[in-house]
Amino acid sequence: MGWEETQVRGYPEFVRTAQSYHGRPIFALFCGDKDAEGKSWCPDCVTAEPVVRKELHNLPDESVFIYCLVGDRAYWKDPNNEFRRNLKLTGVPTLLKYGTPQKLVEEECFKAELVRMLFTED
Amino acid sequence: SVQAHQEEDNPQKTMEVNGLTPVPESYDYDLIVIGGGSGGLAAAKEAAKYGKKVMVLDFVTPTPQGSSWGLGGTCVNVGCIPKKLMHQAALLGQALQDSRKFGWQFTEEVKHNWMTMTESVQNYIGSLNWGYRVSLRDTKVTYENAYGEFVGPHTIKATNKKGVEKLYTAERFIIATGERPRYLGIPGDKEYCISSDDLFSLPYCPGKTLVVGASYVALECAGFLAGLGLDVTVMVRSILLRGFDQDMANKIGEYMKEHGVNFIREFVPIKVEQVEEGTPGLLKVTAKSTTGDQMIEGEYNTVLLAIGRDPCTRKIGLDKVGVNINEKTGKIPVNDEEQTNVPHIYAVGDILQGKLELTPVAIQAGRLLVRRLYAGATAKCDYVNVPTTVFTPLEYGACGYSEETAVEKFGEENIEVYHNHFWPLEWTVPSRDNNKCYAKIICNIQDNERVIGFHVLGPNAGEVTQGFAAAIKCGLTKEQLDSTVGIHPVCAEV
Repeated sequence: MGWEETQVRGYPEFVRTAQSYHGRPIFALFCGDKDAEGKSWCPDCVTAEPVVRKELHNLPDESVFIYCLVGDRAYWKDPNNEFRRNLKLTGVPTLLKYGTPQKLVEEECFKAELVRMLFTED
Repeated sequence: SVQAHQEEDNPQKTMEVNGLTPVPESYDYDLIVIGGGSGGLAAAKEAAKYGKKVMVLDFVTPTPQGSSWGLGGTCVNVGCIPKKLMHQAALLGQALQDSRKFGWQFTEEVKHNWMTMTESVQNYIGSLNWGYRVSLRDTKVTYENAYGEFVGPHTIKATNKKGVEKLYTAERFIIATGERPRYLGIPGDKEYCISSDDLFSLPYCPGKTLVVGASYVALECAGFLAGLGLDVTVMVRSILLRGFDQDMANKIGEYMKEHGVNFIREFVPIKVEQVEEGTPGLLKVTAKSTTGDQMIEGEYNTVLLAIGRDPCTRKIGLDKVGVNINEKTGKIPVNDEEQTNVPHIYAVGDILQGKLELTPVAIQAGRLLVRRLYAGATAKCDYVNVPTTVFTPLEYGACGYSEETAVEKFGEENIEVYHNHFWPLEWTVPSRDNNKCYAKIICNIQDNERVIGFHVLGPNAGEVTQGFAAAIKCGLTKEQLDSTVGIHPVCAEV
């Protein structure tokens, strides 16, 4: 079985989804909400998403890729939002391997080499 | 005896050393660094800055107990970083006790959870390991988690944990393999004892612990374990903190003793047996006196060996390339440019003979070496007046000569020692010791009373010492020190 993608929005849905996949490697990309035309308020997320998607085929078998929209810009700017508080996210986009300290933040997500390293190496 | 290689004055050589001749097509890399610790990583990243093709090989042979760790070397994984965090955990315990006197009220008894602390510490270390990997990949340094050994003058064999072997060639090499804890060589040591390599990731609370050794590793570990509420005993063969100012070493020992650490002096373990299995189990230690025939026994949940560290230089093929090592200690002698007797092979860090075993020293040496090799720089690493701090429960910061070494070098009549006890203001309200913190400077009378030794025992000793180290490097004299107005109320004003 290869890898699979699921899309969520907001913190509670993210947590529920991550828990439901407990036992499998989970990778998550956190981005700002998209408008009606499908464009995010977060310009770095717009740049990062295609880079990350291009590397998805490197995901290990059985793994899950959660694409998570965090909320609107005002929600994200609040220093107490649940993603900052509980998941210790410091910026969007963030690409991480759930349950490990391995993550790429902001411009690091633009680099295919680093994304590939996160997906394929221990 | 060992000869360090003497470079001949040779313009061709100078050009090569400054990286101005092209790398022969036949080498895979400009530079291979063996060891991804403080010295190795600093050197590799610096070389990448100058556009060199660099590879880092890092591999951790698991401990007898099976512990292993990621990229970053001793400091990050099983040294300075986890040590300071656990020392901080112990200090916070003390602060909680003090806080009641400052008006904080909490009715619950304060207890410590080893697993919570260890998980947080290991999580942080994991983020550092990852950070190094991102940093290397970003600067295009090739990293392989493989054990490197020389098989030819310019060839390294790298074996990964699955046993797969690969060969790589390079024009130059830097050996930065560091050290690992020494074992006693007595029955039961490898089967039942742990070392600092295991302590910081121990998946269970160590319980009643015997620490064997009197090094700073032994005393720092004993110190924080006791601070976390554990029953700790330190077994010392002879003196505490060999190589450090003994006046200060004894004060550290006294403080620890008065604050609940047991000391067994002038004994060495001769066997360790298992009484009960478990996590932790129960071990029986038999020890013999160093001054007579007396034997003693004791039971402990954990036995932590901290009797010294040995360089990882015996099994990396140095004999195949003719690099001299000190056969007795395993250390590598180098000239003042960190070059071994083989011109294209260099070494940095703890493995160097006659140099300080400190992370910042390794980093500095690694960076300056690479700048000399590839950027035409000439600055050499300054190993004099390097400040250090021992993070025992009462911290000890030092820079320069110990009192004994100053007397030996300059003569007792030519040095003047100024000293003072002090009572940190923060300790007054909670009624903590008023006569334990101590500061001393050693001055060279014949050189304008230049400060040649600085020693301080008290809270935040590391922070205090750093600034004075810079002053000493500038040639601080007693008069200048006296004329510097103090900051009040802080410990450093003493």
